[in-house]
Amino acid sequence: MPEKPGDLVQGTLDMLILKTLALQPMHGYGIAVRLEQMSQGVFRLNAGSLFVAFQRLQRAGLIKSEWKATENSRRAKYYALTDQGRKRLNSEKREWGKQVAAIARILEAS
Amino acid sequence: MSLLPTVFGGLRSLFRNKRVEKELDDELRGFLDMAAEDKMKQGMSPKEALRSVRLERGSLEVSREVVRAAAWESIVETSWQDLRFAARMLRKHPGFTAVAVLTLALGIGANTAIFTMVDTLLFRPLPVRNPHDLTFLTFPRDASHFEPQFSSPEFRQIRDQTSGVFSDVEAMVLGGLSGPASRSDGLTVDAITRPAQPLFVTGNFFQMLGIRPYLGRLILPSEGNIPGGDPVVVLSFRYWKTRFHSDSGVINKIAFVNGHPVTIVGVAPKGFLGPTPLIEMEVYLPLGMMTLETGGSTAFLSDVGTCDLIIVARLAPGVSIERANAALAPLGPQLAKQYPRPGVGTSLQARPLRPPGLVNGPNPLPALAALFLILSGLVLALACLNVTNLSLVRAAGRQREMAVRAALGGTRPRLIRHLLIETILVALFGAAAGMIVGTFSLRALSSAATVTDLPLVAEFPFNAHVFVYALSIAIVAAVIVGIISALRVSSGNLSNMLRQGGRSSTARSQRMRTALVAAQVGGSLALLIIAGLFARSLRSAQHSDLGFDPKNILNVALDPGEIGYTQTQGEDFYNQLRSRVRALPGVQSVSLATLVPLGDSVQGNDITIPGYTPQREEQLHADYNALSPDYFKTMKIAVLSGRDFLDSDTTLSPRVALINEAMAERFWHGANPIGRNFNRSGDSQHTIEIVGVVRNSRIEDPYSPYSPAFYVPILQSYSSAQTLQIRTTGPPQAIAPEVLAVIRGIAPTAPVLHVRTMTDAVNNGAGGLFLFNLGAELTAALGLLGLTLAVVGIYGVMAYAVGQRTQEIGVRIALGAQRTKILWMISRQGLAIVGSGLALGLLVALVVGSFVGDFLVGIGPRDPLTYISTSILLSFVALTACYIPARRAMRVDPIVALRYE
Repeated sequence: MPEKPGDLVQGTLDMLILKTLALQPMHGYGIAVRLEQMSQGVFRLNAGSLFVAFQRLQRAGLIKSEWKATENSRRAKYYALTDQGRKRLNSEKREWGKQVAAIARILEAS
Repeated sequence: MSLLPTVFGGLRSLFRNKRVEKELDDELRGFLDMAAEDKMKQGMSPKEALRSVRLERGSLEVSREVVRAAAWESIVETSWQDLRFAARMLRKHPGFTAVAVLTLALGIGANTAIFTMVDTLLFRPLPVRNPHDLTFLTFPRDASHFEPQFSSPEFRQIRDQTSGVFSDVEAMVLGGLSGPASRSDGLTVDAITRPAQPLFVTGNFFQMLGIRPYLGRLILPSEGNIPGGDPVVVLSFRYWKTRFHSDSGVINKIAFVNGHPVTIVGVAPKGFLGPTPLIEMEVYLPLGMMTLETGGSTAFLSDVGTCDLIIVARLAPGVSIERANAALAPLGPQLAKQYPRPGVGTSLQARPLRPPGLVNGPNPLPALAALFLILSGLVLALACLNVTNLSLVRAAGRQREMAVRAALGGTRPRLIRHLLIETILVALFGAAAGMIVGTFSLRALSSAATVTDLPLVAEFPFNAHVFVYALSIAIVAAVIVGIISALRVSSGNLSNMLRQGGRSSTARSQRMRTALVAAQVGGSLALLIIAGLFARSLRSAQHSDLGFDPKNILNVALDPGEIGYTQTQGEDFYNQLRSRVRALPGVQSVSLATLVPLGDSVQGNDITIPGYTPQREEQLHADYNALSPDYFKTMKIAVLSGRDFLDSDTTLSPRVALINEAMAERFWHGANPIGRNFNRSGDSQHTIEIVGVVRNSRIEDPYSPYSPAFYVPILQSYSSAQTLQIRTTGPPQAIAPEVLAVIRGIAPTAPVLHVRTMTDAVNNGAGGLFLFNLGAELTAALGLLGLTLAVVGIYGVMAYAVGQRTQEIGVRIALGAQRTKILWMISRQGLAIVGSGLALGLLVALVVGSFVGDFLVGIGPRDPLTYISTSILLSFVALTACYIPARRAMRVDPIVALRYE
């Protein structure tokens, strides 16, 4: 399994962030923690790659951001999916499913 | 889909830089703080927590750089930073900056100058309306030769039958050069005669070109049809500027051409040098005024045998040149049938007037242009090598800086880009200075070019082409220099560099600099060899046997026709002049001729020879000159058999001629030609008897095979423009004042067109050595430039090497090394560089030399003497450049050297 985000399959980090935001808006650290929890510690992301992805997704119009107070009453930028982002997540999920199935078939073929 | 938000997001960051930066910082800080809080909740001390977060998630500074570098706008932003930084660095090192800029300025300047000339002579369209629609008509002879001249009846027929494809058809005659009567024309205003190259044009000439006068008016469409009917003249802008000092008072003044008054009505627009390449037209007259040159004869308007009209036609809108040629196809045979001309084809063709346009025969300009572009490219390459070397030397001192910046998060591409921007900045300054250098050297060249009689086009204006060219070569230079030095600097192990403290440069970078200098020595040797070849070619042309002896002859060009002398008056004037000048002390012999050899023009005549059957399509043609008695004595041309002209050879006596060996051989094949006859075409009633044979001598140029030529007595072929030639015992210039006094004594107002020695005429005449001189001067300038750059390069590298090794040398001396050993140790390095450079240079010269073979006279492109002498010269200069630093090394004081650092 890849240990660094750089080893993630290209483009999957974006999909994972979108998936994380599908439930509710979150701030950057929240997203990082959530990804770590969901992957059971496999994806531990450093701030640099995470924020590059945020910048990219936001400029692509897939997520939007807003400064809000956190539960610990500090200010943080919360990211939320846009409609476009939701559509993209669904299409990526379908595509991913197809690809994984296909790769699995190939690997098991021998 | 996502392009617009990406762009806007980027622009927002660019323009509201501070806010965006702060927002990102806040967000990152929040992220890291939250991570740290989590750690502390797990029981870490705040310090441990912060450290652990930095390790796991990255520091604030690095993350910020990573995020910012990922966005496109960061390139713009950091480039701007780099630019400011680069400017700061250049200001901090004024010595490096000055030398680098100056070096590039020389390289770019040389290229700009050469390119401007090439562009002007080969590519630039005429400065007229829609220049690409202009064509001229020809009968092609073969692949490269054509017959561009037509008779008036042919012109009228072509004009009337091509209105479907041409919107305008115009005819023009180059005055002076091809005019049957006079050679050099002048314009006499207020009793001062200024030489002028006239163009006689039909009235629609300027209208067809679509240009507007600078002053007054141009020739009108209604003018030019009546012989002698429209006595007006239009001056070219440059002629007006140089000869009349831009005096607008000349408009409406009366000028005299061959003694006849014409009114100056206007000045043509600035930058318009006439429709022909290479030769500049200085005054324009209506075609009908050709009577000024023909002595009143109007035969040129109807005679089918007088073919001196050049026809220029403008394609009608939407008509291609192919369609025009299709329309001309039936007309050619029709004309050939009506007006047969032997040796001229029958397919009438329109050709584009753009350069080279009217250059007949194989055009040497592209090859020459290519040669000089290669040579100047070589100079630029040398300049680039020099600057690369300089920045490598500097880079060695900056390795520590680079290492520190890399450790602080400067990515390798960023470091390379930073260096590139620095060199681009240097190159842009170099380009700006280079354009100035180029413009000034062209100006110098223009003034040098005016020494020739021929009004050669010598105006090379700076324009957008040149600007773009100079800028592009500057960028290319910058990229080459930048990439080589940037790759060198940013490669290698950073921590090693930090540890070494930038003191010792690596062996690899030293090797690279050595190679660069060797390449410089090679390039400059190649340049020197080419320059040497041209210089030797010039020398051999100067010392080639011209067939006459130019030393101690004074030429005085006269034209009493300008003040209205008739033939009788003129003959009387010249007779008196000859006898009075002969009586002056120090005069050996005096003679007259209508033409000076190796000057700006040649007179030729078609001839017929009774009993000689021409081969198929062979045109009997010979050069001729009209002479007074004693001409061969003055010029020291041997009369091989028969007799010289006598004062008794006049229009009343039988027509006689002397011929040269080439003519005797060509038409009489070794049989004795004396007593044989021939006729000049167009003059069938006067059969000419050959009374003598003279040695071959140079007429048109100093290198072509001799062509047939005949000489006739000047009294049997009068022309008012004649050159008085005086052979003196002493320096010929010394007698000039006395001769001028004699002329004033006979006819006070008779114009003297010029006074010059025959040697000067040979050296600077258009047909003489002018081009050899120009070639030798241009290549010498480039060679000298190359040599200078190489010397700077060698000296720089050797001096640097010595500086680097000062400590080592000190140790060696302290340990008892002999000083001569040290000298040898350093010199050996220089010898190796120079040696390999020489080998490279010889190779390059052999390759480039194969291009120049066609332009050399008397020597081959592999002339060993040139190769050897330039190699010796370069070695000497290069080794001197090595010796100075080597001697300094020898004198290193060990105490000082060891304390160093």
